[in-house]
Amino acid sequence: MTALETTSVGSLPKPDYLVRARAQTARGKMKAAALRRLEQRATAEWLAFQEEIGIDVLVDGEQYRGDMATYFAENLDGMEVSGLVRSYGNRYYKKPIITGELRRAGPISVGWFKFAQGRTRKPVKGMITGPYTMMDWSFDEHYGSREEAALAFAALLHQEARDLEAAGAKVIQVDEPALATRADELPLVVKAVGIVTKGLDAKTVLHTCYGNYEEIYGYFNRLPVDQLDLEMSNSSLDLMERFRRDPLKKEIAFGVLDVHSHVVETRAQVAERIERALAIFDPQKLVIDPDCGLKTRTVDEAKAKLEVMVQAVRVVREEHGFA
Amino acid sequence: MVRTTVVGSYPRIGDSHGEQVLRRAIARFDQGRATEADVRDAEREVTRAVLREQADAGVGVVTDGQVAWYDSQSHIAGRLDGVEVGGLLRYFDTNTYYRQPTVTGPVRWKAPVLLEEWQYAQDASRAPVKAVLTGPVTLARLALDRHYGKLRALAVDFAQALAEEVAGFRSAGARHIQVDEPVLTRHPEDLSLVAETLDALAIRKGPAELTLATYFGDVAGIYRNLLELPADVVGLDLAQGAKTWGPLSKHGSEKPLALGIVDARNTRLEDPKALAARVSALRDSVDLERSYLSPSNGLEFLPRDTARRKLSVLVAAARAVGGGP
Repeated sequence: MTALETTSVGSLPKPDYLVRARAQTARGKMKAAALRRLEQRATAEWLAFQEEIGIDVLVDGEQYRGDMATYFAENLDGMEVSGLVRSYGNRYYKKPIITGELRRAGPISVGWFKFAQGRTRKPVKGMITGPYTMMDWSFDEHYGSREEAALAFAALLHQEARDLEAAGAKVIQVDEPALATRADELPLVVKAVGIVTKGLDAKTVLHTCYGNYEEIYGYFNRLPVDQLDLEMSNSSLDLMERFRRDPLKKEIAFGVLDVHSHVVETRAQVAERIERALAIFDPQKLVIDPDCGLKTRTVDEAKAKLEVMVQAVRVVREEHGFA
Repeated sequence: MVRTTVVGSYPRIGDSHGEQVLRRAIARFDQGRATEADVRDAEREVTRAVLREQADAGVGVVTDGQVAWYDSQSHIAGRLDGVEVGGLLRYFDTNTYYRQPTVTGPVRWKAPVLLEEWQYAQDASRAPVKAVLTGPVTLARLALDRHYGKLRALAVDFAQALAEEVAGFRSAGARHIQVDEPVLTRHPEDLSLVAETLDALAIRKGPAELTLATYFGDVAGIYRNLLELPADVVGLDLAQGAKTWGPLSKHGSEKPLALGIVDARNTRLEDPKALAARVSALRDSVDLERSYLSPSNGLEFLPRDTARRKLSVLVAAARAVGGGP
């Protein structure tokens, strides 16, 4: 791995033309095929932007997804999607419902992976919403047991991961934002993610965010992935101290951009965050990225933030003489 | 017949265009195309609809649905002296977020926070509207404390501030006041602090019926101590906190309870008769005539149409307990 490799967490904002098209499709005023062409256009634009500014490991930007859990729910047998429920503020989403035995009729995200990887020579991440998060973020009308539901998701997401690998994915990311929800269920997270990543040759990444890391720290090294991707720009110095005392035995993708702020960080701010990380982590095992998906920012804000990030990485690489 | 109530929040939008008034008003406000007064009007329109849906279902003691609350913490704490509103944080295990209150100085009450909302709802409702407050210990636990350094000191000051709210409700004639302490399901060791701070609220309540609500889990380990607290009614989450059924069945309660039997975290609809049978089994050990049936927590984690159906399940279960139709 290059020192201070750069990447993104997953989602990127949808351009206005795609937001309008999605609304029209929802009202029955645009055909699915026409929407898909615009999703492809937006995906291609984001891939070109990432290449242009020099990001190392790319994402497809999830232009075809509404919500990360709902997207998988819409493509699995045994699931339906509920009416709108509130996330926070004025944000609402359609929450998945498990209504029967979970089954995967076929690959879910592989088509989009192939589309994206076919447009660039740089690696594109395969992106899977993790089994624990799928369970925790769904209403369960069928299994009646959180463990049973999580393990059912894990088995079929493993098949998805296999298919992504067969399609050429060199990096597969499992998103588990719900990981820190219940400390008593961390053994279940480890078990379920382990089923998804078992026997994969691709590099595996686990992304999580907005949790009390100090409570779950003891589990970081037990998570069955090669790289942990963490929201860090808002985390306390206490946590950094913990990393120093109790070293992480994996690669870390270290979030340096606050994705919930409209304010674009300065190059100096980001460089300072990278330096903090370098004081603890081996540069060969340190990846730099935003805290989380950037989809809640505007296109311009997201682009500006990513540009600053890449520029800051260049500055730090030069200062340290990294190749 | 056993009475019915709700815990507090209610979905503020639904799936139809007509049910998205508030969402549109806030979106227009964010774009600079609507005023704060427009948002307030939309909140009130939705509050009336929420009251109507509870009335149509036949719920006995209703709430305003907390339609105007940004979240359960910042809506109250953010309007007290010594508190600033900070970034987003996960709210228990609900996959929703709250803006974390940051305590930067001594917490002091300065003006009524909830009274106007409660008064508006009560004026618009024939059923009694329960005034709901987030409890001082939950506020203290979920805030970022940069001033006190001790949970107890912060909780005690939150309680002093909330006591002014309670006194305001009393003066305005509220018959039902509820204090929410969901942290008790995660931190049963906070029981004595809840007892101390609840006392400060209870002495200001006058003749109003004071409910202590617990939810998002069980209180099995502290069940009997909970009944000793200075509340007239104790609210239990018997869905996510199903473990509480154990001590509840074993020890019963002399104090009236709010039995949270309808699962407000799952879309699956219960069979009212099955719920009624479980409740009826408590008849010899719990004073059901003075108790309530309720959802297990606020209904806002469900889609609006499911929330409506859950209210129907609730009322049907209560009727079945009463031996009615």
